[in-house]
Amino acid sequence: MAKKKNGWGKKQRAVIVAGIRTPFVKAFGQFLKLDTIDLSDLAVKSLLERTDLPHDEIDSIVWGGVILPSFAPNIAREIALDLRLPASVEGMTCTRACATGLQAVTLAAAAIERGEADVVIAGGSDSTSNAPLNLPQKAVHALAPLAFGKASTPGDYLGVLAQMMPITDILPQKPKIAERTTGEVMGESAERMAKRNEITREAQDEFAARSHHRAAEAIASGRFDDEVAPVEAPGGWVYADNIVRGDTSAEKLSKLRPVFAKDGTVTAGNASPLTDGAAAVLLMSEEKARALGYKPLAAFRSWAYAAVDPADQLLIGPAIAMPKALDRAGMNLKDASLVDMHEAFAAQVLSVTKALASKGFAEVRLGKSQAVGEVDEATFNVHGGSLSIGHPFGATGARMVTTMANELARTGKETALLGICAAGGLGAAAVLEAV
Amino acid sequence: MSDLLLENENARRLVKTLGLPIPVPEKLARAKGPYEERPLDDKKVLVCGVGALQSVLAQILTQAGAYPWVVGTSDEALEPFVGPGEAWARPPQRVEPGEAPEGQRIDAIVFDGTGLETPEDLRQLYEFIGPWVRRLNRSGRIVVIGRPAADAKKPVRAATRAGLEGFTRSLAKEIGSNGSIANSVFVQEGAEDRLGPVLRFLLSPRAAFISCQPLHVTKLAKGDEAPETHVLGGKVALVTGAARGIGEATAELLAAEGAHVVCLDRPADDGPTSKVAQRIGGSTLLVDITDVDAPERIAGELKERFGGVDIVVHNAGVTRDKTLARMKPEQWDMAVDINLGAVIRITDRLLADDVLRPGGRVVCLSSVSGIAGNRGQTNYSAGKAGIVGFVRALAPKVAKKGITINAIAPGFIETRLTDAMPVAIREVARRMSAVGQGGKPEDVGQAITFLSTPGAVGVTGETLRVCGGALVGA
Repeated sequence: MAKKKNGWGKKQRAVIVAGIRTPFVKAFGQFLKLDTIDLSDLAVKSLLERTDLPHDEIDSIVWGGVILPSFAPNIAREIALDLRLPASVEGMTCTRACATGLQAVTLAAAAIERGEADVVIAGGSDSTSNAPLNLPQKAVHALAPLAFGKASTPGDYLGVLAQMMPITDILPQKPKIAERTTGEVMGESAERMAKRNEITREAQDEFAARSHHRAAEAIASGRFDDEVAPVEAPGGWVYADNIVRGDTSAEKLSKLRPVFAKDGTVTAGNASPLTDGAAAVLLMSEEKARALGYKPLAAFRSWAYAAVDPADQLLIGPAIAMPKALDRAGMNLKDASLVDMHEAFAAQVLSVTKALASKGFAEVRLGKSQAVGEVDEATFNVHGGSLSIGHPFGATGARMVTTMANELARTGKETALLGICAAGGLGAAAVLEAV
Repeated sequence: MSDLLLENENARRLVKTLGLPIPVPEKLARAKGPYEERPLDDKKVLVCGVGALQSVLAQILTQAGAYPWVVGTSDEALEPFVGPGEAWARPPQRVEPGEAPEGQRIDAIVFDGTGLETPEDLRQLYEFIGPWVRRLNRSGRIVVIGRPAADAKKPVRAATRAGLEGFTRSLAKEIGSNGSIANSVFVQEGAEDRLGPVLRFLLSPRAAFISCQPLHVTKLAKGDEAPETHVLGGKVALVTGAARGIGEATAELLAAEGAHVVCLDRPADDGPTSKVAQRIGGSTLLVDITDVDAPERIAGELKERFGGVDIVVHNAGVTRDKTLARMKPEQWDMAVDINLGAVIRITDRLLADDVLRPGGRVVCLSSVSGIAGNRGQTNYSAGKAGIVGFVRALAPKVAKKGITINAIAPGFIETRLTDAMPVAIREVARRMSAVGQGGKPEDVGQAITFLSTPGAVGVTGETLRVCGGALVGA
């Protein structure tokens, strides 16, 4: 048998060394001209600058995206090439709906722990502003002979034209965030969850307002300075997240009209907005980090992915995944010093916390005799979340990992539990621990 | 011949507009596709009655996707429903007894009568269900649950329990024109955990043509946990008479649940049998079941090609109608032998050779007209009624192996046989059922499929009629 090389199969601990993201910006705003690869380049460039990481130490990039550019779907490799990193920096791109960012980071951690790599940049990005408009399959099939030069005679061209009727059949399809299997728009799912879990409009608006207040405070106090890097966009420099509204209130939010159902409760104010942005995390083996003189921020104690029937409660997945991650970490919810949950909709977050606090849910769905536990408001989404900061689908997980890793390092707290819901009925969770 | 009053919109409209004294039957909602995780998704189910099953019902209904509307005078009645309601996000809602709030409609009623002791207690049926009968949506469902009368020690209790069945049968006739059905379920003490699949079936569109029927759920046969979807994954099923009609529909439904279906029919029906087998990814077995060596051949083939069989559906049957005085001996012999003799011989052989695996399911086809008696069918009735006795007697003998055996008695089902009936008789036969129409082969297939599932372990030795609540029958 050949001798193992380069640490392959070696057990080592993966640590989070740093995390940087671009400001998160409302879709069709300052980042309009930057596609998801541009945004990724900016995030990774900032990460490299802030950490002074020698480029030749980088083994690979693991990136994530939800709306992948069809001309170059492997964003990770494009980043390496764009930033003129050493040619040896390999890259892969993953997708797992809104849990994509966390998926990229845990893939990187797993690779390091497997001894496959020592230094990995992981993260994710999305530019909702640059979502491609798809032509219907009918138009694509009709146009294909033209595009690939198979049509030559005038008759061929006429044939193509003839297939283009009626015109409504070949118009580009409006992109929407709908489940492929059920056709349900995500907001409608959130609306149904609000009803079924009896989450009131008031509770949703209050939660949303708190998210804004906390995020605004984090920005004002400079708490995010370590993890948000100003970037130069075609229209000028962008310094900070622009969705956060520190001056909003539950009272103001209560005036907004429901979007997805006439007598509904989900509004633009208590749902996460379409956002452009990218977030990058630097992971290393602990040994390597120390050798290069970095002070690790945190490490993964566990992670878990789960799924539920998307036709039932699309976004309840974290209520399954979070207990699973806690179990794997050998912890209870009350042991977690911090809890950070992706806020797709206030209704979804409150449905999940309600499920976690329910004995009935624990008994029936988790096979536990006790409720997972009440989430303490004081330690929950301490710096806001996707409702206020925004939600570039592929970046959110990496943003959360960064914020919580920094929080552990800054406060000396021990553990942070992360939870993310995602399309397809997916749930994702992770437990970070201080290093 | 298709049912004009059911299939033809113009005919339906004409009858209604002219105000003709003909009841226009309601189109029955039927299931599409295989078993679902939540057969009662978003349905509102009224739960009433005072019994021991509240927690069990809470779990079954919320997991199946239903919103429980609990009849009670205080929020204490909701207590058993809170936990499961949170688990599946189906919070219970309380309604006062004796009143149905304006504009509120429901999809089903489940009455828990396991606590009834005296005839006075039967009044609960009147009080709880009465106000809601007119609020039942189309293709609605009523299930009345009780304890088996035979298990009662005191005669008064037995009488009360038996009363539930009569009530349900009559109520079924009152709601049939709405496409709704009512059935009763008698749960043996200790068999509560076997109620779930039965209830999921009876409350679902799969039971569209089953009405007025009592079903018994017992702990007789041994069984483990049962899947809720892809319920027959990995199972091998034998269906006799699979070339057409009920057999074909059954083969399709069994295959849709994941079973590998061996389609058996006479060698003369090679063409249609193979076609069915090919369409559902099954196998063909061409045997004349009346042949002397048929049981041996069937058992041998099943053992050799599939290592055994899990589900046996004795569907093959014939009629040789003549009044007894005019009947030829071969007509008598043929009808009795195919409908009863061959069924017993094949079943015995499969059991004796251990070809039918533990946890197996046997479903035999009986017939409503066979049981009830029908002029010109002395031979057929002897056979079909014999089936009832056969499954009842065999059930306890095979229960230890986890095997169940049941009979299905179809009523008027639209098939080749009924197409050949004289128009007037056919029309009368159709309207005789509580739902005012004939059934479809798939309705019978659904009942057979249900009895073939691991979840139906609580049901054995029973004869279930699939007749839409026909006037005639046992």
